[in-house]
Amino acid sequence: MSETAKIVLAVAQLLTVASALLVTFHPNILYASVALLFTFLGVTVMFLFAGADFIAGVQVIVYIGGVTILVLFAIMLTSWLYQIKLRDTRKRMAIPFLLVGIGLVPFFYKAAEELANRVLSSPPANFEAFAGSPKTNLIGEALLNNYLLPFEGVTVLLLGALVGAVWIARPR
Amino acid sequence: MGNSALFAHSMQTWIGAGPIWVWAALSAFLIIYLVALPFGGFATYVERKVAADFQDRVGPNRVGPYGILQFLADAVKMITKEDFIPDGADKFLYNLAPLLVVMGACSAFAALPLSKYLMGADLNIGVLYILAVTTLVAPGILLGSWSSNNKWSLLGGLRGAAQIVSYEIPVALSILPVVLISGTLQVGTIVEQQGWAWSGATTGQYHFWNLFHNPFCFCAAFLLFIAGLAETNRIPFDLPEAESELVSGFNTEFSGMRFGLYALGEFAEVFVMCAVLTALYLGGWHIPFLNLDQMWIKFPEAIIILVQLAMFSIKTLLLVFVVMWLRWTLPRLRVDQLMGMCWKGLVPLSLINLFGTAVWMWVFNGRSLAQLLFGSGHG
Amino acid sequence: MMTFLDWMTGLHGFLFIGMILAALGMIAVIYRRNSIGILLGIELILNAAGLNFIAFSKYRTAAIDGQIFTLFIIIIAAAEAAVALAVILRLYRLRETIDASEANLLRN
Repeated sequence: MSETAKIVLAVAQLLTVASALLVTFHPNILYASVALLFTFLGVTVMFLFAGADFIAGVQVIVYIGGVTILVLFAIMLTSWLYQIKLRDTRKRMAIPFLLVGIGLVPFFYKAAEELANRVLSSPPANFEAFAGSPKTNLIGEALLNNYLLPFEGVTVLLLGALVGAVWIARPR
Repeated sequence: MGNSALFAHSMQTWIGAGPIWVWAALSAFLIIYLVALPFGGFATYVERKVAADFQDRVGPNRVGPYGILQFLADAVKMITKEDFIPDGADKFLYNLAPLLVVMGACSAFAALPLSKYLMGADLNIGVLYILAVTTLVAPGILLGSWSSNNKWSLLGGLRGAAQIVSYEIPVALSILPVVLISGTLQVGTIVEQQGWAWSGATTGQYHFWNLFHNPFCFCAAFLLFIAGLAETNRIPFDLPEAESELVSGFNTEFSGMRFGLYALGEFAEVFVMCAVLTALYLGGWHIPFLNLDQMWIKFPEAIIILVQLAMFSIKTLLLVFVVMWLRWTLPRLRVDQLMGMCWKGLVPLSLINLFGTAVWMWVFNGRSLAQLLFGSGHG
Repeated sequence: MMTFLDWMTGLHGFLFIGMILAALGMIAVIYRRNSIGILLGIELILNAAGLNFIAFSKYRTAAIDGQIFTLFIIIIAAAEAAVALAVILRLYRLRETIDASEANLLRN
């Protein structure tokens, strides 16, 4: 990876963490869900750098085009226009949580170090070439060979979720 | 990532050495400023002229010959207008929303195949990329409508988001037959395959426009156009701004340059929609019944780029004209009709098209109608 | 010698960011009272899991299987979000609030 690519990836990681902090701690739920949109964008860039081009496209379509819109919809349907019922009122609890979170960071750093070193001690020979190759064909073939049963299962799950969501939310 | 940054590479070789990312950034900048922005500006003038023609009026005719500089005057007016933020608006989201719309619409220009050698980046997930970045428009509309603190806006925004999310499905399902035929998501390859070969060994490579590949594709192209109209919020599907019921819908409270950004985003999206239809179904840069690679003389690259660019623009702009034409022809749908049409009409029809194309590919071993009719005996 | 930039842009960085996202997601599930906020936390956790699968598919196996798992995670997250939001809308109609701690009909 060139230095420029590394800097782009680092910026994306910074964006991911900063917006994830907002998702968790911003008192206004609407802002939290807008921050979630940027978390998804940051994670998408990280996917691209790990060689998952197709998954990155799917991630943007499903999460930003689907989940974020659904969440915004739910927020706007469950709160009056002028009323700030959107706010989370546990403000005083934010500080202990933030402290616990910051306390965990060194532990995560150490854990990532250990795990990654163990994995990287015997890396696969061709991983840079694998990351650079197009994935769409591979994913299509894998879905119809090794992963056919989970694939069919997921289609049934999606149908069930669709019908179930409409059934639960229907006006009575 | 495949043959990415094609344009950037050719710029690097033409102009000289330099890091590739500088040229990539510069080409993205150039494509947005030389294609997206002028088109968005000029389209406002053309739209008004076309509207005037349909209503037997003269239209704008004061600024420059035939009023052709009207869009510059409009731009100056928009920039110098008072920057108005309504009372009680959510300032951060109010500023962010138009940017999301423009970002989504303009990013798609990077993957549009203007010509074989003039393309921002021929990504190997090109089709998916265009579908993905244009989804950013929906949050832009929804957030803009909520943040302007206006009930009409909110109604328009909710309608808009529901409409865009719903019509994303028929759009994707109508694009899939082409992916099935080409076996790739790379836009450059998809366009290249739609060439024409009179005879010779190359007949098997070219299957003419995907529009005429098989009857199901013919239907799928029209479904893509209809669903794309709804996706870009154009009449007859402009429920989100429905000026007779919702004042001006989601952009009621936006004035000056922010309104300009929304308008620019909408026109850029219309262009992207028409360009995608051109690239996927109408042969992209190819001249009908003519193959520049198989001529008796070898053209220089610059001529080929110009001819292909002209061809692509003609096809796309004709489609844009049809979009403007429909605006003054069809009445607006009701919300329930709109949703019913998507879920009960377009989605089942596009599923049938997808299935039919798959069956065609299986029965005729992937050969197109043109190959079956004219290509027998060759390849 | 490895610089911090190298550390962050290699496998270490992917795992580190994944852990932070998962932790923030769990904190959101515990801390948020708003049920939509809880849903946002779950999305964060699922994204972290997908990030780990993608990173290991590159650095550990150099095969496509990890990406397939991420694809399934994304699909399941979409299904889960749809059902969860339907439940939230139902709750709002029933109790006029989406505060998760007020959904206590079964308690008394």
